[in-house]
Amino acid sequence: MIKIKFLSALLVSLCTLGSLSAQTDNISPARKQAIDSLALEKVRDLSKYISIIGNKKTQYSEANRVMDRAEELFAPESEMGVSALTKKEVTYYRVRKYFEHLMALNYDKVNIKWYNIHYISDLERQPDGRYVGVVTIYQRFEGESEGGLKYKDTTKKDITIYVERKKTQMQGRTVEFWDVLLGDIRVTETSE
Amino acid sequence: MKWALFLLLMFIIIFFSVSACAQIGGDLGDESKLYAESKQVNQFFRRFNGEEDEKGNRYYPTDKEYRNVKLRKKYLGILFDESNTGITRPLKKEFAENVLDKPELSILDFHGGNWFAEVNTTFQVNGTDRLITLYMELEKNHLGYKWVIQKAHADWLDAYYLRDTTKVGRFLHPMSHELDFMNLRKAFAHSDSISQFTVKDFKPDHLSVLMYEAKKGNLKFKSVGSVRFHFFQIKGWYFELYDFNRSGYNTGWLISNLVKLKDDSEKEIIKRYLYHATN
Repeated sequence: MIKIKFLSALLVSLCTLGSLSAQTDNISPARKQAIDSLALEKVRDLSKYISIIGNKKTQYSEANRVMDRAEELFAPESEMGVSALTKKEVTYYRVRKYFEHLMALNYDKVNIKWYNIHYISDLERQPDGRYVGVVTIYQRFEGESEGGLKYKDTTKKDITIYVERKKTQMQGRTVEFWDVLLGDIRVTETSE
Repeated sequence: MKWALFLLLMFIIIFFSVSACAQIGGDLGDESKLYAESKQVNQFFRRFNGEEDEKGNRYYPTDKEYRNVKLRKKYLGILFDESNTGITRPLKKEFAENVLDKPELSILDFHGGNWFAEVNTTFQVNGTDRLITLYMELEKNHLGYKWVIQKAHADWLDAYYLRDTTKVGRFLHPMSHELDFMNLRKAFAHSDSISQFTVKDFKPDHLSVLMYEAKKGNLKFKSVGSVRFHFFQIKGWYFELYDFNRSGYNTGWLISNLVKLKDDSEKEIIKRYLYHATN
């Protein structure tokens, strides 16, 4: 898995290598599209991991292993800020705590689905030179308790992505590539 | 004309519904409302400027459709909060005509200044929840940009600076200097009347007070309540942007207030109102 991710990152670098030396501050449209793809791949990984962690059929040890993988997608100290239609105040969780909370939800059956729609913002440069953007996705959650009681919600997830140019050595040559890390996530319950 | 605008709006909604349903239609049903929603402030910018298609794909300067006037006209029709009857149709029409009349001069610029965020937050002050409004703006810094707090306002702080200027009240007499201002001791002995000893046009700076209290550990951040943005980038106009989380097609970041400005003095009046400036 790690190897595949490294190769995809490398692919991003190769796809956009032509414009690398020419510009340092701005991201060309071609490079932006390549970075968007990489960011979406990470977001899809996260979606997949959330579905597994939330699934009641997932064994405890497997869920923990997936939580480890999911945490690796994030920059250190990333948090989830969660609000509901009935409780506008935002509650903040460390990413790991959020996953643990999801795993411990008191339903007998949990169904997590993702809408096909996503929205990717522009990338803005922050003071330390890294780029930052936001990917928006939507999740449908359905929980069912033994008595047949159902809970449903749709949440909008605004996910921070950090984009950074990194260097690695390959067969004596320095190769530059773009890496994407996820950051804070704002989770808002929608009226849908 | 009203009918023409209404038909245009209906066309846009149907256009969004059909195009979105046709290309996705997953097992979660109709996603067209999510497509219609202005999901990020970034999307509001792009739609306002005509920089993306209806699926949210970015147009670049080399694209034919980039900032196309027809595209901008189409988007302008869906970027207002339709539930706000205070923004009249003639006003929206005039705004749209103004924007499209000089489209190259009516581009929202993320880094262009003249817009700021109003962030309503809750802090714990000595164990009690208190509301504080933070005014944020983008500032260039090193290699990029960052959001910074430019002002703050807290209603509960106002009480500390209130004073009745109609009464004579307490004062330091005009010969106090001859006594090395020894009567300052009496002035500061009564905390309720300290504000009577400042110059009459004293303007309390809430941000400084809050910074001090935070450093002393008396102020702890709790949560963000709501966020809205105030734009003065379009010449002769002010508008407010707010995130409408509700069902239907008219959702997300929409123009929630629109004011035509006669001149710069009106702009300053609105700014002072937004900042809760008292004098």
